[in-house]
Amino acid sequence: MVNQEELRNKAKEVLEREDVRRLIGWKRGTYGFEAAPCVIEKPEEAVNLIFDPTCVQNSASFIVLEEKLPVPRGQEPDTRKIAVMVKGCDSRAIVQHIVEKAYDRDDIVILGIPCTGVLDRRKAEKVFGIIEKPAEASTEGDKVIVKVGNEQKEFERSEILMDKCLRCRHPNPVISDILLGEEVEKWADDDFSDVQEFESKSPKDKWSFWEEQFSKCIRCYACRNVCPMCYCIDCVVTKLRPQWTRRSTDISENTVYHIQRAWHLAGRCIECMECERVCPMNIPIMTLNRKMTLEVKQMFDYEPGLDVEAKPLLASYNPQDPEEYIM
Amino acid sequence: MGEYKFSKENLGKVLEALKDYKVYAPQKKADVVRFQELSDPSEITLEFTNTNVPPKEIMFPQTETLFRFKVGGQDIEPRVPEPTDKMLVFGLRPCDARAYSIVDKLWQWDFIDPYVKNRRESSTIVGFACSEPCANCFCTSLGGGPADEENLDAILFDLGEVFYLKTITEKGDEFVQKCGEALESAGDVERKNAQAQGKEAIEKIRRSIEVEGISEKLPGLFNDAIWKEFSSRCLGCGICTYLCPTCHCFDIQDETEALDGRRARMWDTCMFAEYTLHASGHNPRPTRAERTRNRISHKYSYFPEKFGVVACVGCGRCINFCPVNIDILDILGKVKEA
Amino acid sequence: MSEEFEPRVVAFLCNWCSYAGADLAGTSRIHYLPNVRIIRVMCSGRVNPLFLVNALQQGADGVLISGCHPGDCHYLEGNYYARRRFVLMRKLLEHIGVEPERVNMSWVSASEGAKFAEVVEKTVEGVKAVGPMNQFRRRQINW
Repeated sequence: MVNQEELRNKAKEVLEREDVRRLIGWKRGTYGFEAAPCVIEKPEEAVNLIFDPTCVQNSASFIVLEEKLPVPRGQEPDTRKIAVMVKGCDSRAIVQHIVEKAYDRDDIVILGIPCTGVLDRRKAEKVFGIIEKPAEASTEGDKVIVKVGNEQKEFERSEILMDKCLRCRHPNPVISDILLGEEVEKWADDDFSDVQEFESKSPKDKWSFWEEQFSKCIRCYACRNVCPMCYCIDCVVTKLRPQWTRRSTDISENTVYHIQRAWHLAGRCIECMECERVCPMNIPIMTLNRKMTLEVKQMFDYEPGLDVEAKPLLASYNPQDPEEYIM
Repeated sequence: MGEYKFSKENLGKVLEALKDYKVYAPQKKADVVRFQELSDPSEITLEFTNTNVPPKEIMFPQTETLFRFKVGGQDIEPRVPEPTDKMLVFGLRPCDARAYSIVDKLWQWDFIDPYVKNRRESSTIVGFACSEPCANCFCTSLGGGPADEENLDAILFDLGEVFYLKTITEKGDEFVQKCGEALESAGDVERKNAQAQGKEAIEKIRRSIEVEGISEKLPGLFNDAIWKEFSSRCLGCGICTYLCPTCHCFDIQDETEALDGRRARMWDTCMFAEYTLHASGHNPRPTRAERTRNRISHKYSYFPEKFGVVACVGCGRCINFCPVNIDILDILGKVKEA
Repeated sequence: MSEEFEPRVVAFLCNWCSYAGADLAGTSRIHYLPNVRIIRVMCSGRVNPLFLVNALQQGADGVLISGCHPGDCHYLEGNYYARRRFVLMRKLLEHIGVEPERVNMSWVSASEGAKFAEVVEKTVEGVKAVGPMNQFRRRQINW
């Protein structure tokens, strides 16, 4: 577990630096099992920062979410650095951003936090219901302790943590300037068995599954907005000139929207699973992205978000690329 | 105005008797409870706190054809809003019904929206009183309540073994006539239980906000820096607006397929950057700070100024579903203090 | 008598090799199936995989992308990028429930008129076997 005092002091130190403009971290939420991401600019605000299993959100998304407005004439843009507190999965997003040149390595200060897993709100709500006070959580060895008001319950990891944590290959940040806490051991390997199970269905079954799921979609674009890798200013799904996908919510447009997103994340998705977590209609979006991750791994031996020097997958090629299906 | 009761097993019978109506009721499909047209009465579910997508989608569908046209002539087949079949919305919460009346003020304002008007006039609304308000409900702060009868034609209470049904308007009486023998008369016991449940539900509401003064305060805060703070973690997605029972913005687009086309209206959200993007490229609400300010001000200042009622019913969906824990009650509390 | 299903296949042919190859098939009077509708692009690397998705949405039952042989691309590397893209897009569509026979790719050079005819036949037979594309076709529901 990360020492909260140390975390706050380090954050304060970083914010006091002259070359740092803001810091992205998490603070206690107003209710429920999820913390609230926060963007702070004054060192005094660092006392509100926390890190525990409620810090679900991907902090790296907030680096690219910031709108870059034109600067009034005579003024210079503020080019100071942004500091970010990241868990293992979030740090992969930063690496991938650097690979894609969204920003330079020198533009950010990374405070890495080895992560022992985050709570799955849906699992927690099945046990406690929706709670009006914010929960606190901690991990001790193999157990997760959740405190709701005066009630405290202990859980096995698989009972309360997100599924992504149960197969997390990178609990320690893959890139950092400052490491807050000791590195943790990897819990398990990811065998992609869920993807393979789905692959074994017939095309008809696959389609009827997706037809049911995509009919629920309300095109709120939360999956896209929360994704750290979706940061195009004029995104293809909402582009009007030309218009690729209509805004109407019938099965055809909804399916094409999800195909477009999964396609644009091929070789870039770092599996933070935020898209699936935020979907208000419980659509299993990651099924598609994980399939792409598996294929990219098997066919091109490539994993996004690990090597800052790597080239983006689809911006490079290998003369020996697989081509069995080509006539 | 009558009072009836029926056992839980007879719910199916009651619904079957309503063949005259197009019934919209909550059903659980693919892991989500949503208001849909009821084809099989056994699929209804009344085991939910509230649906994710509010029943506004019955009166104001997410995608709706305004009219069709054919290219190459002057033919426009106007899809005239004919009187629709009689509709019955069964099982919506009093907050969602209140939302219907609030947004009606806009739909029937300077331009009467014929599509929504038609549906509203042909529907009978049977509400479902809350016995267990969710943690983030705050309907009582906005003039509503878990067993509020205003805006409903009839109201249903789940009393454990039986349902207690009370009709409030003539439309309610009409619908009860159709149910015929599936309903028995209710007595004092049921009425008292229902009233007690309603009172208890009000006690169970845990969050509140003093709305007085907010609408006067907001205009003064237009240029304040607090909006940047409130919106710093906003993703700019559409969850709060699409799941809000009073949000009503829409976009109109023409869609064509070879020589056929239609003009359709679909939900839009002021939280998207493209919402106020001008053709010139200028955007008067370029960042999430301005858009958050606009949303809160629209609900708590501009709408009440024009129509006399706050455009929020306290259903709590925006709080429950916001992925980054943006809490409207937290924001309003800070607005009051600012 | 029931009508046999005649698939509609949209083909994206690269200008320098495959389109010329198709043209050669025509001038040599080599008969190839009429189900294919050809769109000429400058290079197979220009083809955005979302074009395929759009084609399937608008009524195509299958698609074919054809380019120069690897190493012979007129723009040197375009077909290499295309190869990576389409193998992934095929897998993605397969996961959605769109049969992989609907997404086809081939290398046809400017002198391979006969091969073009063969490729078209293989594609059309493959699509015929899986039937009309109904999964996410635009169907004007509720219009």
